Amino acid sequence: MPGGADYGLVARDRGGHMDRRHLLKQSLALGGLAGLGATPAKAQRAQLVPIRAHPDRIYDIKCCIRPFRTKGPNLAVEQVGDATVIHNYGHHGSGWCLSWGSADMQVQKAMSFAPRKIAVVGSGIIGLSSAIMALRAGMEVTIYTRELIQRARSYRANGVWGPGTVALASEAQPGLGDIWEQMVRTSWKNFRPYMGMAGNPIAWSEHYELSDTPFDAPPPAPIPMANGDPAPVFYDMGNRIGDITAIPEVLTDQTNPFPGVKYARHSTKMFWNFSEYSHLLTQEFFARGGKIVMRDFHSPSELGHLPEKVIINCPGYAAHDWWRDTAMIPIRGQTEWLIPQPEVNYGLTYRNVETRSKSDGVMVIQIGPEMFAKSWKNSTEVPNRAEAETAVKVVEELMSRFPNATRG
Amino acid sequence: MRRLMAVAVLILAGTAAAQARGTIWDGAYTDAQADRGHTAYMQNCSRCHGESLMGMFEIPPLVGRIMPYYAGSKLSVLLEYISTAMPLGRPGSLSPATNADIVAYILKSNDVPSGGKELTPDSAKAIAFTAMPRKK
Repeated sequence: MPGGADYGLVARDRGGHMDRRHLLKQSLALGGLAGLGATPAKAQRAQLVPIRAHPDRIYDIKCCIRPFRTKGPNLAVEQVGDATVIHNYGHHGSGWCLSWGSADMQVQKAMSFAPRKIAVVGSGIIGLSSAIMALRAGMEVTIYTRELIQRARSYRANGVWGPGTVALASEAQPGLGDIWEQMVRTSWKNFRPYMGMAGNPIAWSEHYELSDTPFDAPPPAPIPMANGDPAPVFYDMGNRIGDITAIPEVLTDQTNPFPGVKYARHSTKMFWNFSEYSHLLTQEFFARGGKIVMRDFHSPSELGHLPEKVIINCPGYAAHDWWRDTAMIPIRGQTEWLIPQPEVNYGLTYRNVETRSKSDGVMVIQIGPEMFAKSWKNSTEVPNRAEAETAVKVVEELMSRFPNATRG
Repeated sequence: MRRLMAVAVLILAGTAAAQARGTIWDGAYTDAQADRGHTAYMQNCSRCHGESLMGMFEIPPLVGRIMPYYAGSKLSVLLEYISTAMPLGRPGSLSPATNADIVAYILKSNDVPSGGKELTPDSAKAIAFTAMPRKK
């Protein structure tokens, strides 16, 4: 789940505590992008349209399992019979953010075998992006999948830019930080051409971090997981992408647009409109001559029977059962969707709830340490209505503070 | 010569029967087992896959496409998948016998006929999961 991958646990340390020297260095390297999202303090308070957040406006609840892999994404190359399998799975909640970079990296490995035809297994965001990358490189590509992207777990993500951690500190594969950064930067560049297109497949919105306590208060102590595990320690990516990470601007009483909220910060976030973006990817895949075969695999040995002998394997969480990859750990995620409000052009985080106004609805998600503790090693993929209503009611209460709030 | 032909026909018929016994279409489970499987399904599977096994958009149906998706493997492949990966929220938590019962119920729900012997993890290894035989 992009942006959900850090569960709001680390975002508070950004900005004020950023290593400015590192940032400057990176920014010069990239032509001075530092300060992305940081705008000069506004003299005026933004006029915001309240979100019509009421439980009876929830029109969908999407639930999925983040494919967390303790060692980081599996990018290994493996021989299965006479087929060469190039793995590309286990991107935790950062599949959308890492999609093009991971695809590019694995397609290069595939091309080093000089095949004419490539098979891609799976059609989530990693599989579909890998297939398109291979087509763009001149390969003939067939996707073998049991679901199209609209039914894949990727499609149930949060869908906001914010590549998060992808491994445990104790188990991360060597060089993971460099691999991750390369994936992030390649992806970032590949998203650029989709900006400004009709339907806004990738868009930007204002974002407000709201709090009842100061942002510089010490973070709460880690809490144990609901299953009894101690709080996991994730591999720290450091400030590798500070130059393309929004730096929040602290709002004053004069510029904070939220009535009754003591502390507020403002930044800008990039996000995906899944319907449009997935449609574009699918269109390109077919326009370039890609083929899709609907099928299920039950054991790795079946890959040896495919006509293609170079295979990019993108099963996502299914690797847990299909490949018996014990490094795969389920981390549950759920988003609730309110009826679209195109006039709302901002997102917010408040009291462990995050919102984002997208073309297909206002997305609401519970984040924070308590939600994470309940999600860790939780593979229950059934929507939880009570959880959805709890999240929406936080936003409902916040919006009731606006003098022009309307019901329903 | 005629006698030789008759023997050959008998041998061929015998081989065909042996093959038929090895597929899901020749009675891989009993009705009583499918009934137990129905109860277990309602308790453990229906919350996601639905009471009619039709799934729900993101959740795969267990009638229809499951047939081509598993055709070509042994029945044990389906049974092992269910035994290790399901129920999704607590994988591997059901007993081998219960999992076999649930597979029996899934087969029955896909109009695969019952027989006189119960399905077990062992018997599943010898039973071929094949597409529905075409009517002659």
